[in-house]
Amino acid sequence: MQILVIEDEPKVGKALQEGLQAEDYEVTLAPTGEEGFFLASSQSFDMIVLDLLLPGRDGLEVLGALRKKGMCIPVLVLTAKDALEDRVAGLDAGADDYLVKPFAFPELSARIRALLRRGRPESPEPVRVDTLEIDLHTRAVSRDGHKIDLTAREFDLLEFLVRYKGRVVSREMLAREVWKEASRATPIDNVIDVHVARLRRKIDDPYQRKLVHTVRGVGFTVREDE
Amino acid sequence: MKGLDRISIRGRLTLLYVGLLSLVLILYAGGASAFLLRNLREQLDHRLNADVETLEGLFAWDGPGRVRPMTENLDEDARDLRPHLLEVWSATSSVLYRSPQLGKDDLGPAPTPNGVPAHVGARSIRLSDGTRVRIVGRRHSIEGIPVRIRVGLSEEPLWREFWQMASTLAIGLPVALLLIGGTGYVVARRALRPLDAMATRAEKITAEKLAERLPIANPNDELGHLGRVFNETLGRLERSFEQLRRFTADASHELRTPLTAIRSVGEVSLQRTGDADYYRDIVGSMLEEANRLTKLVDSLLTMSRADAGRIPLQPTEFCVLDLAMEAASIIEVLAEEKDQTMTIDGDAQVVIRGDRLILRQALINLLDNAVKYSPKGGRVEVRAGAKNGEAFVDVQDSGPGIPAKHRPHVFDRFYRVDKSRSRREGGAGLGLSISQWAVEAHGGSIELDCDHGPGCRFRMRIPIGPDANQKSREKTS
Repeated sequence: MQILVIEDEPKVGKALQEGLQAEDYEVTLAPTGEEGFFLASSQSFDMIVLDLLLPGRDGLEVLGALRKKGMCIPVLVLTAKDALEDRVAGLDAGADDYLVKPFAFPELSARIRALLRRGRPESPEPVRVDTLEIDLHTRAVSRDGHKIDLTAREFDLLEFLVRYKGRVVSREMLAREVWKEASRATPIDNVIDVHVARLRRKIDDPYQRKLVHTVRGVGFTVREDE
Repeated sequence: MKGLDRISIRGRLTLLYVGLLSLVLILYAGGASAFLLRNLREQLDHRLNADVETLEGLFAWDGPGRVRPMTENLDEDARDLRPHLLEVWSATSSVLYRSPQLGKDDLGPAPTPNGVPAHVGARSIRLSDGTRVRIVGRRHSIEGIPVRIRVGLSEEPLWREFWQMASTLAIGLPVALLLIGGTGYVVARRALRPLDAMATRAEKITAEKLAERLPIANPNDELGHLGRVFNETLGRLERSFEQLRRFTADASHELRTPLTAIRSVGEVSLQRTGDADYYRDIVGSMLEEANRLTKLVDSLLTMSRADAGRIPLQPTEFCVLDLAMEAASIIEVLAEEKDQTMTIDGDAQVVIRGDRLILRQALINLLDNAVKYSPKGGRVEVRAGAKNGEAFVDVQDSGPGIPAKHRPHVFDRFYRVDKSRSRREGGAGLGLSISQWAVEAHGGSIELDCDHGPGCRFRMRIPIGPDANQKSREKTS
């Protein structure tokens, strides 16, 4: 999978490059809009990550020019401007998704996978992690054959974590996807932490192998190893 | 009118009333002159009519086709009949007599034989030497033969009198206008002098010196009113500048705390060598601070967009009790962790129209605080209902309450009742400000009540009804 990252801030660009390479993407970095446009029109990529505030040629211009040429490659827009108008302008110009800076890397990674998967059948949801079994239809959970009672919220949380198995999920993603709280200004991090602790108590504490892990400063992950 | 804009107000005022006054005076002078002229002429006509009767009797035939006035026989009383100009016409329109003073002039064209009324009204004609003459004509008979007599008198004395009066008026008028204009200008200048003082002072007021106020000479007149309004505006401006200054200072202070943490954690960790776990821990710690910064910046952004009225509301209709239960279902785990009891009750019939997400955010902030400040094992009570056409949600905690001196400030940005405690628990002191904005954007209000029992109660009030939306738009705009 080839990803073109058009980002002028060197640190952010390098971090994105390394992070995405670690996830087995081939990443090309373009520090200006002109270069990005040139690369996008001369080489073939699977998707583009585009910063909106670029020196010289603005991100929206690049996007508009690409779409004018009839290129329908998926584009994920990064914007520092948290304003509805910008989002609308970005989506109007042909962006497939947008992410507001500062963003958490796990979130970017999740969005990129979602965009690349688009149009293809979704891989079957994992319903088994180690000895933990989840039935998405009956919402029944068991480990080592023992039934575990989860509240509705705990089940949603577990389902979300398991869907991103092996990857890190940020509190922000959980707040938005599980608690439907869109604003980062609302203080529900404590709420999330309490639910994760309770979930752990039920599915991890009685067992040797732990599945739910905290990644300090980033979020949580469900892993089979260890 | 464009040119008038360049003249000062006092100049314009002076011009205006000098103009008006000139018009009035000119009309008056014109009217008076016309009246005088008419009066003088009436007097003259009166005299002519009286004299014509005397003169009629003086004519006698002096041969065929000629008559002669017997003016030589006039006694002393009638001497003043001499300056009269006379003309006598026969019935066949031939001149029977004409005063020698007339020379080649006549007193008008020949009278038509018939149809001439017995008495012809007075009229004025002009002789060839420019003399204006007033004429009266009359039918008469001399020794039984009908004739027509015309008598004329010079109007010159009349006109002399008229012009004398007109020139007196014409000279007096500009003098009067000059006097009045001058006085008016001085009066206007004096009346507007406080304005100059205000302008001079206002020029010195800048963003740094907003404490200055305009001088007010007389608070009861129009200028005083203007000055008062101006001063009130300055006061509001000063307060909002002060707020802005404090906001900026507080915001940078709040930003400095996580930044300091990131820096010192990073610097200290580089001074020693550790294993991968150690560095992972350090990076994690720095990321935690970065997350705090992110949240803080988001809160600031929310506030500034709210201030600018740039957060559009997406109203739907919903039950307040549902909203309370939804918010409580999110926060209640925190209460459970502290063995607190959270109760929710209220009227399930109360429906409001508003932006559910924004109001939920406001309520979550209140509930989060209530749990935070209630002791272990305490109670948090939520009540939803309606009163006086307003929906309300009460959040009652069982904490220590808020000291009276802090109460007026709890909704201020970055205000913390207990500074060390709140920061330890991760709040930036913006939650209540955001809640207040959210409720006010819906035309409602939020208030703190510490007088009912231990703990404090926050009450959100949102108007019910179709005008709720209208009010909220007015407030945010």
